[in-house]
Amino acid sequence: MLSITSLNSPVFIIAAKEIKDSFRNRWISFISLIFIVLSLSITFAGSAITGTLALPALPSLITSLSTVSVFIIPLAAILLSYDAFVGEDEAGTLLLLLSYPLTRFQIILGKLLGHGFVMFVSISFAFGGTGILLLLLGGSYPVMETLLVFMQFILSSFLLALTFILVGYLVSLRATEKARAVGSLLFIWFLFVLLYDLLLLAVLVAELSVINQSVLNLLIALNPTDLYRAVNEMAIDSSEGLSLLNGSSWALEGLYASMLAWICVLMAVSHQLFRRKSL
Amino acid sequence: MGNSAVSVNEVSHHFGDFSALKQVSFRVEQGQTMALLGHNGAGKSTLIKIILGLIAPELGEVSLMGAGQCLSSRERCVRLGYLPENVSFYDKLTGEEILTYFAALKGVSKAKVATLIEEFGLGYAKDRQLKTYSKGMKQRLGFAQAILSEPDILMLDEPTVGLDPQASQFLYGKIAELKRTGCAVIVCTHELSLIEPHIDMAMIMAKGERLALGDLNQLRLQSGLKAELKCDGLAQVVKQEQSLLNLYQDDALHFELEQQEEVVRCLTSQYGKFDFSLSKPGLTQIYRHYMGRDMESHIGSEQASRIIPKESLLTRLSSQFLKTRNA
Repeated sequence: MLSITSLNSPVFIIAAKEIKDSFRNRWISFISLIFIVLSLSITFAGSAITGTLALPALPSLITSLSTVSVFIIPLAAILLSYDAFVGEDEAGTLLLLLSYPLTRFQIILGKLLGHGFVMFVSISFAFGGTGILLLLLGGSYPVMETLLVFMQFILSSFLLALTFILVGYLVSLRATEKARAVGSLLFIWFLFVLLYDLLLLAVLVAELSVINQSVLNLLIALNPTDLYRAVNEMAIDSSEGLSLLNGSSWALEGLYASMLAWICVLMAVSHQLFRRKSL
Repeated sequence: MGNSAVSVNEVSHHFGDFSALKQVSFRVEQGQTMALLGHNGAGKSTLIKIILGLIAPELGEVSLMGAGQCLSSRERCVRLGYLPENVSFYDKLTGEEILTYFAALKGVSKAKVATLIEEFGLGYAKDRQLKTYSKGMKQRLGFAQAILSEPDILMLDEPTVGLDPQASQFLYGKIAELKRTGCAVIVCTHELSLIEPHIDMAMIMAKGERLALGDLNQLRLQSGLKAELKCDGLAQVVKQEQSLLNLYQDDALHFELEQQEEVVRCLTSQYGKFDFSLSKPGLTQIYRHYMGRDMESHIGSEQASRIIPKESLLTRLSSQFLKTRNA
């Protein structure tokens, strides 16, 4: 344990290298820019589609932000992590790293810490900045409530990013080529972000007798993007989001716990895959 | 006899139906350099991975510096240095950042990194991103990475590929320095003439099997390859000396290495021939000899396996014909 908590631990050394890499290839600035442009457009120009220019109410703003973020955050996360292992494998550095006095768990954890930090900085900078601007420019927002709402939005976005970083690792550990890893991940993104909800809505609209509250909760828990939406709907107590999420009877803590469970399970599976990876 | 740094005993390994290593054994003592030679797919990389502890052999034992090899590289107390083939480090990082990263992972100080960078002549480019480095510079950086922890055992996979002769000599000079400190070095290479002056022993492998092992003289003896002696007026000498006649072919004498002393004595003392050239088979010839032999057996088994389907096809066609006719 000491080797993980110590600052000289390989985990932190690997994390620092990943962060440096992301700064050097301008990943942080690129992703932060995309997030902030989206966040500011939705916040300050979102009402333009109704023919007026007015700042939205907090619940309505968070709903709009989460609706867009649920597409863009997973995409950014998988693009950050897709070559974490297959890339190093192709370059020969994975074999080299494994010949070093490191465990495979330390390598995965180090990469997750580094990539997680990159996503956290981008998310916090974009959405935190939007929250602060909102407070400065729109005087009518309650300070504490706005800060709390944005903090939980940043936290849930960070958890969603971690989930998809780990999905990226899973595919990266299985793939034999970088191009294949990207293709597979884009398919997974399409499945989770677009197709799953469409199918879920179709099932709900069909009013099948098997779909009771427990089944609905389970179906939401089986998709991290739905959990993310549900967390944000519930945190602001909104009725503006997807109707299927309003039907969920989960407590906010339960939804966060489910997101953490996703992260733990994906981490465990990644570790197992890495242990069994043929070299 | 020195202390054994690497001891591989009867190691076998399979990947599914493919037999990657078949009962391979060898020992490398401290301060020795061994060339690991063989065609692509001979099992060299698998052997290196087993020595590194990345793969557990199905059969056999590996011990490093007298201790059994274990898969947990973290618990390993032996200092290992490794340079993989065609490794491509992180393009966006500078040379110094890359070496500092690997040094930190091994717990090596930054001062050592600075020393190595200067020693390897990369000081002027240490702040440049790796993508601006030439092949030779990258290889020097990779080699510096491999010796960061002053290793007990150093494994190099094709270290001189793409290097100019000067850079290769520099690299072998460094290997010689490490040997003097007791480091055991295993080098996988196809550049046989380049490595020949620098090795203490070589192991030739094919299809997962050890074909030959030993120092250059032992390999010459094992291979049965003959030495060649040429000198002016050799034809006249051979006419007078019956014992040399059966060694004479293509205007040269070809003889077993054990006969060398006898032949030279005969030429110098009896016929006053002191101006002659004597060439012993080099590593390249020895390697070709073993590979050729392996290829012949391969072709032989391939031809045999081709005959079988032809016969069976013929049998099947004739039986089909007979069936049709009978019907």
